[in-house]
Amino acid sequence: MSSSMNKNTNIQAEVDRIVTQYGTGQESVLPILQAIQQEFRFLPHEALLHVCKITEITPARIESVASFYGQFRFKPAGRHIIRVCTGTACHVKGSMIVYDAIARELKLHEGELTDSEGLFTLEKVACLGCCTLAPVVKVDEITYGHVKPEDAGQLLEDFLGKSVASNNKKRYRSNDRKTMQGEIRVGLGSCCIASGSAEVKRSLEEVLAETGINVHVKQVGCVGVCNQVPLMEIIKPGEPGVFYTHIKPEEVRDVVLTHFRPSGFLDRFRTKLVHLFDMAVEDSPPVTFFKYDADQRDTPLCDFLDPQMAIATEQRGHISPTSIEDYKINGGFSALKHCFSSMSPQEVADEIVLSGLRGRGGAGFPTGKKWQIVKDQKEATKYIICNGDEGDPGAFMDRMLLESYPFRIIEGMLIAGYATGASEGIFYIRAEYPLAVQRVKDALMVCRQEGILGNSVMNSTFSFSIRVFEGAGAFVCGEETALIASVEGNRGTPRLRPPYPAIHGLNGKPTLINNTETFSLVPWIIRNGANKFASIGTSGSKGTKVFALAGKVNRGGLIEVPMGITIRQVVEEIGGGIASGRTFKAVQIGGPSGGCIPASLADMQIDFEALSSAGTMMGSGGLIVLDDRDCMVDLTHYFLTFTQSQSCGKCTFCRIGTHRMLELLEKIRSGHGVPNDLTHLEQLARSVQTGSLCGLGKTAPNPVLTTIRYFREEYEAHIQGFCPAGKCAPLITYKITDQCIGCTRCAQRCPTGAIDFNPYEIHKVDPDRCIKCDICRTVCPIDAINVN
Amino acid sequence: MNLTIDNLTIEVPSGTTVLQAANSLGIHIPAMCCGEGRSSHPSCMVCMVKDLESGKMIPSCAMPVHNGMQIQTHSPEIREIRREALELLLSDHVGDCEAPCRLSCPAFMNIPLMNRLIAAGHFQEALNIVREEIALPLILGYICPAPCEKACHRRSVDEPVSICMLKRFTASDNERRMKNLLPATHENGKKVAVIGSGPAGLSAGFYLRKMGYTVTIYERQDIPGGTLRYSIPEEKLPRRALDAEIACLTAMGITMLTGQEIYAKRFEEEIVPGHDAVILATGDPIENPLLPFTLPADPDGNLFNRKTCVTSRPGIFGCGSAINSQQMAVRSVAQGKLAAIETDLYLSGIKPKRIRSSFHSAISHLLPGEVEEYLKESLHGNRIQPHEGWLHGFTPEEAMLEAGRCLHCDCRKPVSCKLRILSDEYQANRKRFSGPERKRLTKFIRHDLLVYEPEKCIKCGLCVEITAAYKEELGLTFIGRGFHVHIGVPLGNTLREGIARSAFFCVEGCPTGALSFLDQEEGVEYRARFRMTGKGWEKIGNY
Repeated sequence: MSSSMNKNTNIQAEVDRIVTQYGTGQESVLPILQAIQQEFRFLPHEALLHVCKITEITPARIESVASFYGQFRFKPAGRHIIRVCTGTACHVKGSMIVYDAIARELKLHEGELTDSEGLFTLEKVACLGCCTLAPVVKVDEITYGHVKPEDAGQLLEDFLGKSVASNNKKRYRSNDRKTMQGEIRVGLGSCCIASGSAEVKRSLEEVLAETGINVHVKQVGCVGVCNQVPLMEIIKPGEPGVFYTHIKPEEVRDVVLTHFRPSGFLDRFRTKLVHLFDMAVEDSPPVTFFKYDADQRDTPLCDFLDPQMAIATEQRGHISPTSIEDYKINGGFSALKHCFSSMSPQEVADEIVLSGLRGRGGAGFPTGKKWQIVKDQKEATKYIICNGDEGDPGAFMDRMLLESYPFRIIEGMLIAGYATGASEGIFYIRAEYPLAVQRVKDALMVCRQEGILGNSVMNSTFSFSIRVFEGAGAFVCGEETALIASVEGNRGTPRLRPPYPAIHGLNGKPTLINNTETFSLVPWIIRNGANKFASIGTSGSKGTKVFALAGKVNRGGLIEVPMGITIRQVVEEIGGGIASGRTFKAVQIGGPSGGCIPASLADMQIDFEALSSAGTMMGSGGLIVLDDRDCMVDLTHYFLTFTQSQSCGKCTFCRIGTHRMLELLEKIRSGHGVPNDLTHLEQLARSVQTGSLCGLGKTAPNPVLTTIRYFREEYEAHIQGFCPAGKCAPLITYKITDQCIGCTRCAQRCPTGAIDFNPYEIHKVDPDRCIKCDICRTVCPIDAINVN
Repeated sequence: MNLTIDNLTIEVPSGTTVLQAANSLGIHIPAMCCGEGRSSHPSCMVCMVKDLESGKMIPSCAMPVHNGMQIQTHSPEIREIRREALELLLSDHVGDCEAPCRLSCPAFMNIPLMNRLIAAGHFQEALNIVREEIALPLILGYICPAPCEKACHRRSVDEPVSICMLKRFTASDNERRMKNLLPATHENGKKVAVIGSGPAGLSAGFYLRKMGYTVTIYERQDIPGGTLRYSIPEEKLPRRALDAEIACLTAMGITMLTGQEIYAKRFEEEIVPGHDAVILATGDPIENPLLPFTLPADPDGNLFNRKTCVTSRPGIFGCGSAINSQQMAVRSVAQGKLAAIETDLYLSGIKPKRIRSSFHSAISHLLPGEVEEYLKESLHGNRIQPHEGWLHGFTPEEAMLEAGRCLHCDCRKPVSCKLRILSDEYQANRKRFSGPERKRLTKFIRHDLLVYEPEKCIKCGLCVEITAAYKEELGLTFIGRGFHVHIGVPLGNTLREGIARSAFFCVEGCPTGALSFLDQEEGVEYRARFRMTGKGWEKIGNY
């Protein structure tokens, strides 16, 4: 009794503290709930009751909001949270099999999410935005890429080892101000970190500390070359830069010593000794990195980067995301200054109209027109919102831009504020992007200190402030009216437009909502002129578009290409073609709102109109390449599962219609479909398209309709009982061929004992016990396991 | 603002919705999720209209008008999208519009209401309800094979409610039986002859007399009753019961002429000229030679239209075994009533407005655990056995206990439910989108005034707004998201705590039967007439 009273008192005290920090208004509900969950790892009932007692937030509001957003838990979670990314790229690379493997490793029973010891809680997350490392698993703050189902146990052990080790972190000697011998750049976007860049950087600091070599270590944002990370670039004055790709921490020392000499005699001597000693003790590790000179042609790096055009990602790999000086040296804030000194707000808006820029969030509404509408409103209060609620599985453009170029986006928002007469800005960033949130917050702080934000920006008469609002796990909040509802402290349900937010938005005031990428293009347009921007691209779609290229290509990554580039160029030239000798089947563009375009249409130019006439849309720019092993029915089922789970539940067509569509797909996918189901599905899909209230419901049928349009025969095959790609679990069987050498690896790794242990004999899979986890196939050394 | 709706031009103030503009032109657009004085957040999507400029379908209840707008409110395409919205809602709707017992009763008797009235001790009202559909409750209370009891959901707990014996009970008391027999309307002076006094003839006579007609029943035998008297043994149907019920008809002022053999000649010369209409309830045609001589057959060889009881001769109708051999007396009774209605339609010159199947949402069988939800409203335990034996039937105390076993599976808002009305209007097919699994039905009855059945909810959120508008401390709120979103009382509180002062407005505002009053009885004023067809019941207008 007394302990539970104590517990309640603690909870109340904690809630009191949180409320003092975030305020008592209804709009504080999300930040308060996020803080409570941060503290307790779930939302204790007593905490919610106490919030209602001491704030204006009603029980009805707190319950409806807390139960709406996917981020919140109502049951205590384990000490560590395992998030398995189920984004598109991860899905096509088998993330569900990984999820199941971890669940087995934790001995979770059906419906359980936390292991019996309360150590780990297993969750699925829509997308971690590390698509090039797929499949990705994140345990607390540590990200693991390229996880295989058979690695599940090892992964958990590794994590536990790491989480203990992190308690006695070593500190390295900081740089003393001696003459710089050069500069070493290391990319530190989320995915770079996940693939080991942080370790590379640590190892680099270690080597430098030990050797006394004095070079400037520069942390740069995402380089986009996700397929080649960890990436290190060495710059010496007067010499072309040298890139090292796929570099490992243990290889850093050799690389550094090739380029730089230790500073003093003693340092040099010690280095040699220690190094010799290392060599003697352990075998020298195999060299895995590749070295390219920056001016060398025909390298994978050049192939990847050459067809691209950097506007939103200008200066990528060169500037440090957190350094305002770097940004300024490279022309940062000169566009804003130019606006203040020689352009009227109307001229700025005109310039954007002239540039032909269209919103990069998906629908492609003309940006200048939107600015003009907001500008024309007579209200005193107006808002600028940067939409960084990038929820599409398979897309990470916004994350990369926010992490790597926070100042550029801030400048874009400031210019928009100046043009439209707004004085308050909000960054809406999804909570799954902690690094982006942090970098933006840091950048905002710096801008305030530098007088770039606040009263009289850069000594002009213009005042502007920006704050960060964290989303809470609801894809639908990417829809602008839902986003506004969420900022106002409501459930993220969209409302009918008109009235459009540009006229009646946040708190009823005119609100300009643009996508992150849209804002990041603005400074370039002002600096280089609308005409220059308009000269890039196609007649209806100007400028460049950032895509997250992932899936079955050799070189995935974040790319910025001119509008009008063909799908084939992207896949073959930039992506280096299909990996491991399979054949190119289709690309999925635009995530769950987009659709699949078959290889036969690969010469199509990418722009807003062409995509929409092919039945898909730009979306926010996920571009997943599929090969012949990808099943279109499975992929469609995957997307619809996602949109269906993200429906806000308001309008009939989306709430019930998408659910019924998914049931039909499930029926077809499991081989129980009848020919009539396909007609039925197609018709229902059209009705959901016509009848839904917002963009989420209206576009949710796109994956279904495009795949029926281009791959109807695959649906028909499933109805006849077989999956041509060998992907749909209910329709496939695993068989071991006569080539089996009896190595027993599969038998040892089979989690259900479906393969008997028979050394030197041909193994067999028991179909009744087989759960189709695919582990046997991946561990077999001679590919003797067939999937039919 | 000037706009065009269905080619009609109208000027309305800015801020008006398309729905309001259409209404002011007298154009009807269906809508469920919007309410007077409530903010319009379109969710049900049955109010869809087409914006001819953009070619898009828009929810008219929330769309503000703008200058030059061109709206179309009716077309096959619009009708289809509205119907699909309804069908999707129905696919997620769990509940019976009418109780299964009532649907399976050939006479469509309102059984659950009879049960509730008996359980409450209102025996006379119970009898009145029974007589709405069944003219001979005492007789049928002995001999009806009771298909209703086979459909009773209570079967999945223990035994079905003894519906048949309860019906007999309502008419078992002499005094009660003789009450409320006089014609409901004034004497209309028109004369109808009924040939035959079996169950169909007696039933037709009963309803015609109630409507104010002067009725004469002609019977060949010396005593009225037909097959009831001559084919059913005394131990199945005591003669005193038969006599007692026939006495009611006589007491109503029906002339009962016995020992009357009606030949073709007498029929043509006396019966037809002497009456405004004639009903042939002559029983099996093989035993009665009258018919072939009086009625010309249609090309298929039929003398009667089995659906409508009419013949090829105006003013002459038929019912009972004369039309087709009836296995159950209750069917003959039902058809007697139908013939009476058709006769009335003919004599008053009314043409039935519309004829089609009436909409019923129905749960065919209960899922595990659902019966417990129903049992929240009923007495537990097996059937009550009348302690004085079957022939004697229930005592009032026994009847009240037995009637209390009824599960109340009929909807409390069968008339005002907009989902039902519109499903009827748009001929929605409730099974078109039904999924592999349906939701499990629940009932929240822990409230003094109302019942909440979440599986009938369409998630429009009107009640959420209403509880907030009436400043409920807790109120109702949306919980969850997507397909699994539902309305509930926040933070685990009870319904009573959630709706403390706005119960009336919530029930009134709720467009379906999800929120209803505990003692709501909408069916009582419901005067829809039904007739039986091969496909079930069809509605013939409302009168």
